[in-house]
Amino acid sequence: MSGLSELHLDALAEIFSIGAGRAALSLSEIVGDEVHISVPYVQVLNSEDINSATLSLNSGRFGAVSQHFSGPFNAEAVLLFTEEQALKIVSDMMGSQMSLEELAEFEHEAMCELGNIILNACLSAMADILHFTLESSLPHYRVASANEILHRFKDNSDQPYVMLLHIDLVIEKRHTTGNLVFLLSSASLTNLVIHVDQFLGSIA
Amino acid sequence: MNTITTKRFNMEDISNAINIGLIVVDADSKVLLWNNWIAKHSDIQEADALNRLLENAFSEPVSAAFMTALKNTLAYRLPVVLSTALHRTPLPLYNASEANQPQTRMYQSITITPIQSQQDESCCLIQVTDSSTSIKREKMLRSHSEILKKEATTDGLTDINNRRFFDAHYEIAVAEAKRQKHPLSIYMIDIDFFKSYNDYYGHIAGDNAIKLVAGALQSQLSRATDIVARYGGEEFVLVMPHLPQATAEQFAEKLRRAVFNLAIPHINASPFHRLTISIGLCTGIPENDDNLLNKADAALYQAKQKGRNQYISLPLCETHEYLEQ
Repeated sequence: MSGLSELHLDALAEIFSIGAGRAALSLSEIVGDEVHISVPYVQVLNSEDINSATLSLNSGRFGAVSQHFSGPFNAEAVLLFTEEQALKIVSDMMGSQMSLEELAEFEHEAMCELGNIILNACLSAMADILHFTLESSLPHYRVASANEILHRFKDNSDQPYVMLLHIDLVIEKRHTTGNLVFLLSSASLTNLVIHVDQFLGSIA
Repeated sequence: MNTITTKRFNMEDISNAINIGLIVVDADSKVLLWNNWIAKHSDIQEADALNRLLENAFSEPVSAAFMTALKNTLAYRLPVVLSTALHRTPLPLYNASEANQPQTRMYQSITITPIQSQQDESCCLIQVTDSSTSIKREKMLRSHSEILKKEATTDGLTDINNRRFFDAHYEIAVAEAKRQKHPLSIYMIDIDFFKSYNDYYGHIAGDNAIKLVAGALQSQLSRATDIVARYGGEEFVLVMPHLPQATAEQFAEKLRRAVFNLAIPHINASPFHRLTISIGLCTGIPENDDNLLNKADAALYQAKQKGRNQYISLPLCETHEYLEQ
């Protein structure tokens, strides 16, 4: 239905894995400790089919970093972590110098940076490999409930497609998982398919 | 350019008047713009910075993470943020300080965005904001909240824990002892003949005596797990985990002696004519609805009945109590 075959999805997973590797490298440099990020799989769904199970969202609140990308295709990319995970990641990254509850402002900014690094790395890997350039807005961080997030994804008639990346992030032996969600319009999805096809053609 | 010249002001005036740092670099990271704010906080004038590579424009090195971010923005044309929390001070910028004081390096939040030059080159705009004040504000709020937290749980007269602290701590300590099945000792302590002390020596001396007793009790504690609190007027309570019965009783005697040795004169307290305390101790592994505190209070009552200046220890379990009697 989405026009993306298994082959396309495998190619995208490969591309995003390269991006995740780059993001891990940047994060390692900042944290001064080894960071591993992997993208186990990529899914493309109709936004109506998106639910708490597909996003593995349980109850609770989520930290979401979003950026709007434009270029050959337009997308809103949203990186989701549970709020608790987001806090742990940032506190690990920040070390013990600041306590989180008391330094909310800095935590938000740090979360923005973390999301920015992962989003940019995935998008730039894609741009590199599929040979196009993308522009992007600055990252925005907000905390929302699972319902608010789902509502926003579903309520978006301009962007009927959702590309979903599951992300594994390991910092200093702490293992967390998150989701990177791309909201795509039909035209954007078509253009993405064209670019992936060209790429697959070039390596075939 | 047109849009700028048709405006009734000069964009350069804006960039120099604005209260954030602005730097523009080209694709080779050569400096094209260096606003007054950056000049002021780096102590490097625009003329000295223009056309130099950004990493060489400062007199000190720029952080590696900043250079990586800049390279990424130049290569991929995607905006990057560097947060204060993760970077502190990526650029060698300083806050103007009082004369003859060392300058302090500025905490910074940085945004790097790709822009196009008029020649259609790929450039980067670097915006720097000073987060020192917000860090200071947050730290101040934190220290205020710590002071308030401490005040809320400290007794104003004696500076030891107050009843509010004890109530919360007691509940946690009992739950912990229940879960881990280890013994907990509660000491209820009351100053003997305190009313007559107050009547004879006055309330100021009375307050002073309470302070001295609190200090003497506090000074007997050496483990982080042990707490003493002012329970009420001249009553104190101690909570100590992990003590075997015999050790707990030895400690009660130690407390009694510590106060006795203060040698505070109390003319109306026979036979020693000094200020003394009575102690009720209850030690045991709490189960179900056992109430250590009530038991310790009952023990304190017995210590008073039996002549004061002594401790009475009651076991938590009723049957043991009967056996002892």
